Amino acid sequence: MANKTAVQATINGEDVEFLCEPHQSLLEVLRDVLRLTGTKEGCNNGNCGACNVILDGVLVNSCLVLGVEAQGKRITTIEGIAPPHGLHPLQQKFLEHAALQCGICTPGFIISAKALLDHKPHPSEHEVRHWLAGNLCRCTGYDKIVRAVLDAADVMAVEVSK
Amino acid sequence: MLRHTTNWVTKPANRVDGPDKANGAAKYAGDYRVPGQLVTRALRSPIPHARITRLDTSAALKVPGVLAVITSDDFVDHGRFGFPVADNFILAYQKVRYVGEGVAIVAAVDADAAEAGVNAIELDLEQLPVIEDMEQALRPDAPVIPDVVTEGSKKGQPNVCLTQIVRNGDPEPIIAASPVQLDQTYATPFQEHAYLEPEAVLSIPNPDGSVIIYACDQSPFNNRGIAAAVLGLPEDKVRVIQAIVGGSFGGKDEGVYQMSAQTAKLALLTNRPVGMVFSREESIIVSYKRDASKIRVRLGADKDGKLQAAKVEAWLDGGAYSAETVLTAWRAAMHLAGAYTYQAVTGDVHVLYTNNNYSSAFRGFGNTEAVACIEQAIDEVAEQVALDPIDMRLKNIIGKGDRTMTGATLNQEVGLRACLEWVRQKSDWDRKRREFPAQNKNARYRKGIGVACYFHGMGLGGEGVDFANATIAIERDNSVTLTNGLTDYGTGARTVFTLIAADVLGARPERIKVLLTDTETAINSGPTVASRASVVGGNATRVAAEKIAQLLTFAAANLFKCAPAQVLRDKEAFIGPDEEPVDFDTVVNHARQLGYVLSAHGRWQLPVIHWDFEKGTGTPYVGYTFGAQIVEVTVHTGTGRVQADRIWAAHDIGKVLFPEGAYGQLYGGITQGLGYGLMEEVEINHGYIHNVNFDDYIIPTAMDVPPIEATFVEAPFHLGPYGAKNVAEPSMLGVAPALANAVYHATGKRIRELPLTPERVLLGHALHNDDHGDNSRLWLGYADGLRKVRITQAA
Ligand code: FES
Ligand code: FES
Repeated sequence: MANKTAVQATINGEDVEFLCEPHQSLLEVLRDVLRLTGTKEGCNNGNCGACNVILDGVLVNSCLVLGVEAQGKRITTIEGIAPPHGLHPLQQKFLEHAALQCGICTPGFIISAKALLDHKPHPSEHEVRHWLAGNLCRCTGYDKIVRAVLDAADVMAVEVSK
Repeated sequence: MLRHTTNWVTKPANRVDGPDKANGAAKYAGDYRVPGQLVTRALRSPIPHARITRLDTSAALKVPGVLAVITSDDFVDHGRFGFPVADNFILAYQKVRYVGEGVAIVAAVDADAAEAGVNAIELDLEQLPVIEDMEQALRPDAPVIPDVVTEGSKKGQPNVCLTQIVRNGDPEPIIAASPVQLDQTYATPFQEHAYLEPEAVLSIPNPDGSVIIYACDQSPFNNRGIAAAVLGLPEDKVRVIQAIVGGSFGGKDEGVYQMSAQTAKLALLTNRPVGMVFSREESIIVSYKRDASKIRVRLGADKDGKLQAAKVEAWLDGGAYSAETVLTAWRAAMHLAGAYTYQAVTGDVHVLYTNNNYSSAFRGFGNTEAVACIEQAIDEVAEQVALDPIDMRLKNIIGKGDRTMTGATLNQEVGLRACLEWVRQKSDWDRKRREFPAQNKNARYRKGIGVACYFHGMGLGGEGVDFANATIAIERDNSVTLTNGLTDYGTGARTVFTLIAADVLGARPERIKVLLTDTETAINSGPTVASRASVVGGNATRVAAEKIAQLLTFAAANLFKCAPAQVLRDKEAFIGPDEEPVDFDTVVNHARQLGYVLSAHGRWQLPVIHWDFEKGTGTPYVGYTFGAQIVEVTVHTGTGRVQADRIWAAHDIGKVLFPEGAYGQLYGGITQGLGYGLMEEVEINHGYIHNVNFDDYIIPTAMDVPPIEATFVEAPFHLGPYGAKNVAEPSMLGVAPALANAVYHATGKRIRELPLTPERVLLGHALHNDDHGDNSRLWLGYADGLRKVRITQAA
């Protein structure tokens, strides 16, 4: 049994301390240690985006980040973006546009889209497609996902201006 | 008489499973964790074909943390299974026939212990000659792959599993006498399903010796049947619960059944829960593919382009085990010559064994391959007679009352002409067909536009009896619980069932909950395949809901003291002769007071049709869906790179019950078709898969999918609920051949081999990577040299 390292991080706004082995990825820590299974594994090699989380404001493939690298960082996963008892506008728009089918890619897309809108509240369609090209979806053909993100951007802009 | 209001069906609706999927709460089988859960690791074959001369697992059992090891010996009849041909095993028996085939599974307390256990297993393999392609499979001296007697055995070709045929007259003399003839051979690639969720199952033992299997499977009842048989248990000792499935597209049948039986056996042996989750590499190496095909098309036409006869022969690379390719071949045969009328057609589809992984169901199920080829051939004939490709099709397509290529008379509304006309007009086809060829021959970028159309038989057809069972119950809190034996693996079927029940009952969709399919609570409905959930499962739901609706009408009539026929409905309200509305809850409560039992079972079956497999004649399907697609491309003449610029798609899928869901299926199918046409090919060299993850096996991203303009031509189908047909499979059919036709329009090069990679477009052939299996061996655990697998040459 390898030596485990104690890591402190802020996950979805909560201070968390966990033990992890040096070789464990952040994805494994989230899913197996912290049981935040909303973050999915689709490829484990940085090609599908199903595992995406936001780490100190930066979108990352959590399968390519080590658990120990989370020390002192702030992490946002799909479980942490909705207000209590509600849905984030992106989640709401994914529902309205039927932008999800099997849903396994959905957390990754929503987190990626959130990272985009955090930096760029009014992206063009091309920017959305380009940004989301790191997320694979086998069910939807992407069109509805792109519509949902653009629509959510509009709604969020209105909310901000209020 | 109950009226069919449509308060919810056909209207905008949210998926019933949407919120949980959007907020990360939805649990897939790989997300499950229960106390005491063991993990597994597999010993898999590192070579494509070998005899197992020794297999000793005793040392593995002594590894600390290892609790059980299983091989084929742990199953009844060595775990033999397979329908219609029982040539497959839960774990390899006597031979391994493809790279990655499971030989033994270790269950242990953690991954390190399981891996150490696998490394302790001693396996001796005596190498056998490898059949790398279909030509080799047909050679008289070819080693025989299957251990069952095949149809081909009688003709000296034991690697021919069987041949599915169509016999509609004799095309030979008609083609010979035709002024216009075509004889071309086309090829299609192995395709990976690439569901984003790698396979996962969890088996939990019960104190009474029974077992629960949570699986990402497509058809839980088939899973239960196989598991019970190989475990030697009665079916009621095996309960299969379908977890939320992260995509399937036909891909989560046999392979997941193997995993289910393996983990169930280990759970029973150890009395501990056992989980098994594939990595992406394991998924791609081990799971089955869409078969690769070669299809020779011979057509005869008159000089005006009227098709006269077709003779088509196809060879499908079924790989090491026949799985559902036997049925795929039948469906391919039923569609080989396309949606056209002919005087005579014959078709022969041969299923061949090779050592290339194995093939089974994948969206379109044989028709994808058939359409990909015939639709290029039709363009080639059109060119010979100087007809526009759409005019060529309009001249020849089937309509109501016509005989299809199989000789059966088409007895339904046909929206195909409308589909072709819609895409023609929307895409500005006529202008583009005229203007694109006038581009400068040496231009770096050249544009082209191409079309394809298709028909697709609905449901199982001659493959089996097409029925489904649904149950419905109004609970104490007046919510409604539905079950259906047909499942939802991401398709939206649960939402469709909800909307139908809502409409028939006059109950808000929010009241209704569709349970995930559980063999203990739902009633066996056969496999969930062939896009049959909406029609067959939807009708079963309708039948069950109508029984309850009738009781509620009686209860309301009793309340209003009027005749049942006088009760009117408006959404949830019941309205009697005095026009005072009474709400749903009041009527339900009154029905209970009257002693009515508010639960019901509905069964529905498509009319039985008959196909004679020996003669190749009969009626293959009760009906068809139709569609037409146009793709506009830009080809980079220096690199051969093809970019799809725009797609137009019109599909006759009958009445659309859940529009958002149907469009989602359509875009998704078109995107898979785009991948099939442009970039997707499982490269198998010497029996080894080269592209084992998404860095090498490329599927379309949001940047690859062009704007899609789509419509549904709703020619109502008399047997469907509300006139619905199916959409899931047909949506991908036309894209690949339309792409090939567009590339020809742009470049004048007819490729005839999919996918249209830059090499093929530029050089006319593929460049193959000469991988001798390093990738596969790495991911199967052979890289560090710790496996105790000895490989010897046959003496
Ligand atoms: S699982 Fe991390 S990118 Fe696919
Ligand atoms: S919804 Fe299934 S992979 Fe995206």
